[in-house]
Amino acid sequence: MTLPLLCAAFAALSITLYVLLDGFDLGVGALLLLQRHEESRDHMVDSITPTWDGNETWLIMTGVTLLAAFPIAYGILMPALYIPIVVMLLALGLRGVSFEFRSQMKLYRRRWDVIFAVGSIVAAFMQGLILGALLQGVSVQGTTFSGNVLDCIRPFPALCALCVLAGYVVLGGCWLQFKATSQLHGFSGRTLRIALPLFMLAFFAVGGMSLFVQPGIVAAWQDHPVLLGTLSCIVLLAAFILFGSIGKRPDVRPLIAGLVMIAAGIGGLAILVFPTIVPFRISIWDASSSRLSQIFLLTGAIVVTPVVLGYSLFAYWVFRGKTPEEGWDGYE
Amino acid sequence: MSLNPATLARVQFAFTVSFHIIFPTMSIGLAMFLAVIEGLWLKTKNDLYLQIYRFWLSIFAMGFGVGVVTGIVLSFEFGLGFARFAQLAGPAIGPMIALEVLTSFFLEAGFLGIMLFGMHRVGPTLHYFATCMVALGTLLSASWILSANSWMQTPDGVAVRNGRLVVVNWWHVLNNPSWLVRLPHMLSAAYLTASFLVAGVGAWYLLRGKHLAFAKKTVALGTASATVLIAGQVFIGDILYGTMLKHQPSKMQAAEGFWEKESASPAPYYWVIAPNQKEQRNRFALGVPYLGSIWLTHSLHGRVEGLKNTPAEQQPIMGMVFYGFRIMYGIAILMFAVATASLWLRWKRRLFTTRWFLRCLVMMTPSGIVATLGGWYLAETGRQPWVIFGMLRTIDAVSPVPAQTLLATLIAFVCIYAFFMTAFLVFVARIIRRGPESASIHAEASGSLKNALRPQVLDSPNATAALGRVGR
Ligand code: HDD
Ligand code: HEM
Ligand code: HEM
Repeated sequence: MTLPLLCAAFAALSITLYVLLDGFDLGVGALLLLQRHEESRDHMVDSITPTWDGNETWLIMTGVTLLAAFPIAYGILMPALYIPIVVMLLALGLRGVSFEFRSQMKLYRRRWDVIFAVGSIVAAFMQGLILGALLQGVSVQGTTFSGNVLDCIRPFPALCALCVLAGYVVLGGCWLQFKATSQLHGFSGRTLRIALPLFMLAFFAVGGMSLFVQPGIVAAWQDHPVLLGTLSCIVLLAAFILFGSIGKRPDVRPLIAGLVMIAAGIGGLAILVFPTIVPFRISIWDASSSRLSQIFLLTGAIVVTPVVLGYSLFAYWVFRGKTPEEGWDGYE
Repeated sequence: MSLNPATLARVQFAFTVSFHIIFPTMSIGLAMFLAVIEGLWLKTKNDLYLQIYRFWLSIFAMGFGVGVVTGIVLSFEFGLGFARFAQLAGPAIGPMIALEVLTSFFLEAGFLGIMLFGMHRVGPTLHYFATCMVALGTLLSASWILSANSWMQTPDGVAVRNGRLVVVNWWHVLNNPSWLVRLPHMLSAAYLTASFLVAGVGAWYLLRGKHLAFAKKTVALGTASATVLIAGQVFIGDILYGTMLKHQPSKMQAAEGFWEKESASPAPYYWVIAPNQKEQRNRFALGVPYLGSIWLTHSLHGRVEGLKNTPAEQQPIMGMVFYGFRIMYGIAILMFAVATASLWLRWKRRLFTTRWFLRCLVMMTPSGIVATLGGWYLAETGRQPWVIFGMLRTIDAVSPVPAQTLLATLIAFVCIYAFFMTAFLVFVARIIRRGPESASIHAEASGSLKNALRPQVLDSPNATAALGRVGR
């Protein structure tokens, strides 16, 4: 009984870490498009280069946890979300190779930066579509997807996509507040002042519209009004703190506020869909894989995750402090 | 070929996974090579090793990057293209891949940043540790994914209850009958690949009379490790052949190109065939007489089993399996020949001056990659028509995604991957043309190499600033 719960908790942990960590990477990537000075763009990319790969790995972890612990859900969701997932993967690919390739040639760096930014934006947008499609609900018959692959391309998912993109840009701005110096620091402050209100607007629009597209969400609000209300308040409060701390010291405060804000949002989503894994359709118990499989997965997760978190933190610590304006290392 | 979802899903999977494996093979091999080189540098303090390290590190980094982004696609593709397979096999292969992510992808990712950018921040010893962790990560990754794939080839330790797969014995799932033979074969393939890459680039410089110290060292190292590895590989390959013959006779029947239940005696060893699957015969076949009997039955007149021993609806497509095997095997023979020649020339002290040999090395540069692809085509197409051998047919595993969508995404994959490959090749060619000296130029600009690497400069922004961004 509890095994599927624990597996679901691990999947939730993975996706949360992914959104928080790759969120600011993608946000920084998206902001490359707005930054005219090449020096500053180098600086922006340098601030995420050493750690982005580990951040992205949480996405793989989420997908594979689904495969291992809830194969039924994995087999329904992948075809249902086929289009946004494939496009997201391709966009992440373009973004990922740009890290290496942009540093190879000064001449075309500008073009690689456009690819980098477009890859980041499209990936963020697709993740929002996925979220929207999940909330709106996918068609299921037995254990197979029975809808149309185009179901996810509708107004509500599109609104979610804008919301996620705005959220990532906010995180990216917060990250730059923390890591960047001088002119880039100012740039990130200016972006935050615009992106944050936009995000809040989109966030509450999604919240409102969701009540009309998915009856399950109405039911969830009736079941847990206090919990969901509290989380919404935390989001709002964090947003205010974030706004007030832009450009001020300590420069880590916007980042912390931004992370708390997004994490509270994810917490709310978790409460909305719980205890289903194919949202509002199939419960975590019905989608579970065999007992021994879940035990194997959890044993691995419990033993190894602390170590992973340990050396990931170590990697962040090695590259702590402000990102040097001339890069990490004369050699790249 | 009609436009049906099953075919398209398979082509898409085959394309993306074939593209992916090119890069892991290089990453696994080069990571180990870099670990060895950095170890030698720390031990001898000979700056030549540092130069070799930096040169190959920049190529490794790009290959690794492409490996990562194409790998992510694969972990979702099980469900995208083969939903039913994912639902059935998830309980068995899912946890293995999950452990792969936890034990190796995070390890690689965590230490890769330090390996690439952290020399100034952590100092040589800790940096060496990071290199070793990345190499260890690639090794663990190969172990897990091969266990998963081997389970699909030779499933064990599971039962099917109510249409769902249940693991009854994890040890049997992990240590399934083919894993411990396939793993060393794959690892040694990756190390061979790296050896030939390294030796090939060195030989190219020698032929042009450039970067001689660098070139001699890498040719010597590359041919030495290739010699040891190919001897081992032929041996492991032979054991693997026996294992697969026992568990998947249909694969090995197809791999040898015979149709009749028993071949003629003495059996030839075919090199070129034109099979006609429908009529269950070869339109045309060319081979070396007697060799089939000798190699496959270890006697002069032995007969070899043909594909008709397997019912037609359970046969793989002979052409793919056969040529996959011939490509791998043919290259193994070439590698063996090159290794033997290198021993002879080394003994004669002409290893660096024999131009025909150096030209051979240059031509053999990508041989490991080609052989690896051949090997995987043998293994995977030979498993057909099953996706999990004997348990689930590939046709029954396909996702409910319409053919047009699959076709559109296939085209997108082909275009974007072609772009990745072009960029990768262009940049690698540039790095090679510029030569190893430019790889360490920045460090020299700051004075002495060792100075730049001493931990004192760790957090001093001025020292890093002095290095400038020459390479950018
Ligand atoms: C024998 C080795 C081997 C094989 C057969 C495969 N891979 Fe791979 N894979 C690696 C060896 C590897 C590696 C050496 O560990 C890579 C290459 C570059 C890298 O970052 O790690 C990698 C990267 C890599 C990544 C990105 C990891 C990261 O972010 O660091 C994923 C998600 C996968 N692979 C998934 C797969 C799947 C689902 C496969 C099966 C179809 C597969 N790989 C075949
Ligand atoms: C990395 C090297 C690999 C290569 C080059 C390779 C090649 C291929 C090819 C050519 C096919 C299509 C076969 C056909 O339709 O005739 C295929 C199918 C497939 N392979 Fe592999 N493969 C590799 C590794 C793996 C691994 C490690 C796994 C799983 C853990 C795997 C799982 C599958 C699956 C699920 C299919 C689709 C179903 C099928 O057509 O059988 N492959 N692969
Ligand atoms: C005499 C030499 C060799 C023999 C007899 C041999 C034999 C085999 C056999 C029987 C398989 C099929 C395994 C399966 O169905 O799962 C295989 C696969 C493979 N071979 Fe070879 N091989 C030889 C040389 C090589 C060389 C030189 C390379 C690369 C440098 C190589 C790379 C591979 C790879 C990557 C695979 C697929 C992975 C796997 O199935 O383990 N082989 N080999």
